[in-house]
Amino acid sequence: MSWIRPAVFAAPIALAVALTGCAGSSISKASMRLGMVTDIGGLGDKSFNDSAYAGLKEAKARLGAEIEVLESKSAADYQPNLTALADEDYAEIYAIGFLMNNDLAQVASNYPQRRFAIVDAVVDRPNVTSITFKEQDGSFLAGALAAMVTKSRTIGFLGGMDIPLLRKFEAGYAAGAREIDPRVTVLVKYVGSFEDVASGKELAGVLFNSGADIVFVAAGKSGLGAFDEVKARDHDYVIGVDSNQDALIPGKVLTSMVKRVDVAVFRVARDARERRIPRGTLELGLAQDGVGLTDFAYTKAIVGAAAIARLARLRRAIIDGRIVPPSTREELAAFRPVALR
Amino acid sequence: MSEPAEFLALALVKAAPLIFAALAGVLCERAGILNIALEGQLAAGAFVAVAAAAATGNALAGLAAGVLAGAVLGGVLGFAATRFGVDQIVAGTGLNLLAIGGAAFGLVVIFGQPGASPSVASLGAPGAHLLIATALACAFALHLVLYHTPWGLRVRACGENPRAVASAGLDPKSIRLLATTVGGALAGLGGVYLSLGELNLYSDGMSAGRGFIALAAVIFGRWTPLGATGAALAFGALSALQFILQRSGVPSELMQALPYLAALAALAGIAGRARAPRADGVPYVE
Repeated sequence: MSWIRPAVFAAPIALAVALTGCAGSSISKASMRLGMVTDIGGLGDKSFNDSAYAGLKEAKARLGAEIEVLESKSAADYQPNLTALADEDYAEIYAIGFLMNNDLAQVASNYPQRRFAIVDAVVDRPNVTSITFKEQDGSFLAGALAAMVTKSRTIGFLGGMDIPLLRKFEAGYAAGAREIDPRVTVLVKYVGSFEDVASGKELAGVLFNSGADIVFVAAGKSGLGAFDEVKARDHDYVIGVDSNQDALIPGKVLTSMVKRVDVAVFRVARDARERRIPRGTLELGLAQDGVGLTDFAYTKAIVGAAAIARLARLRRAIIDGRIVPPSTREELAAFRPVALR
Repeated sequence: MSEPAEFLALALVKAAPLIFAALAGVLCERAGILNIALEGQLAAGAFVAVAAAAATGNALAGLAAGVLAGAVLGGVLGFAATRFGVDQIVAGTGLNLLAIGGAAFGLVVIFGQPGASPSVASLGAPGAHLLIATALACAFALHLVLYHTPWGLRVRACGENPRAVASAGLDPKSIRLLATTVGGALAGLGGVYLSLGELNLYSDGMSAGRGFIALAAVIFGRWTPLGATGAALAFGALSALQFILQRSGVPSELMQALPYLAALAALAGIAGRARAPRADGVPYVE
């Protein structure tokens, strides 16, 4: 019966820890803990996951939160990572990426007392905030920009994986180009991976060699390869995604279609701190600055004031609902340019 | 560039890392060591090359370090397999996890950022072209070594019947160890090609399964250097075709699965007999 002894000793210790834990949180609110599980792309993608991490760091700086990040190396890591965080006293646990939706639904049911948030997917549980973006709206502006700047009347789109989420970018981008000039050809390629940098570079080369002079790159870390490819090309440009990637190669990145995952992550952290009930769904579009283009810090001369002004009018039209960018290929097929005034 | 020329160039670019890794696989398996750690050796070669290039500012130093890293991993596999007689699948899996996890950790330690390294001095386009030529040259060199030198004969004998090698007064364990070390160096060179040849950075997961496609090439190429190289070239051509013809009706997932289907077809005996070296993956115990 030697196993009883440690258990007998452990019980009061666990109780004491639990009690001090409770006491601590009721006296000072300074120790709110925020946990995050990244997608396979992981930190350092200079894109989606890094943007989420930026929001978390902002919560650390402005809300005094303690933060913890667990990186997923494969889809098999999602559930263990989420469970590991849910086992501890986190005020909010973020699942970064739609691939985690099934695992999060499971973990959220197992831990009804915890709060969760997921980016890019809708998980219908009372303790989950689902954060989604109108990627097609921001991508529409990116496509319009590309159609205004292209000299070859051919532009490209490079996606990570051919999945519904990425098709929102693709459809919005192609529709934006059509809005400006229906004669512009939009070439579309998918890497088939968010991590295969070499293939990203090769496919960007295929797009440029096929006549595209601007490529919108929405491919996670695979996109780093496309950025490398454009460096050596004098008259070609890329458009970045998710984070502001304009400074990666100043002057060669026309703009970035930013998805303010950081803003959403911070908002949800503030909700948790103020103990508001989870929001259900939080959909961010152009009006909430959840998506949009960057400020052309390095490319104003290439883009030109007229194009920037026209983009502002298009943005207004989308916010007002006069233009509804398509989010699927079927909607794209039916999309017709809208005459503004 | 005209379309056929672009296709051929892309096929070679896609095939080069597969050739290096497949040749490594052939050499190890002909010596009787199943090297499923090719993926890890690619990653280690790619990462260490970038780390060394960053430290020295010299891409050639990076190349040497990447090759050395591959050789060390190959040597560890060979040592574990020969001296301790461990299960080679388990050892190989462990090395894959170690290399890929180690590189991820190394990014944080050396570059202070997870996920991807900053840009470092690269070999550039001429270097990449030279490495592609080197890959093809290595195929012929390995063919000559395996079939036309005494050491090659001993390697092949180790893969078929190590006891016979021992009874001839030679040490099969040493021969196997050297084969896995040289094989690891070849796979490391494939990793260098990815990180410093084609690109100028290391990014987590950048080997992207090429080590496993190379294993398929070894089988499809019937454990011969020229056959495996031919298979790697065919797989490279398939990838290039997939890139160029994407979304023209053929599902890209099917095209990505083709190398594995080809390996299965080879194993199933379609178009001739495929037989692994008899002692492939079997620890030699005195």
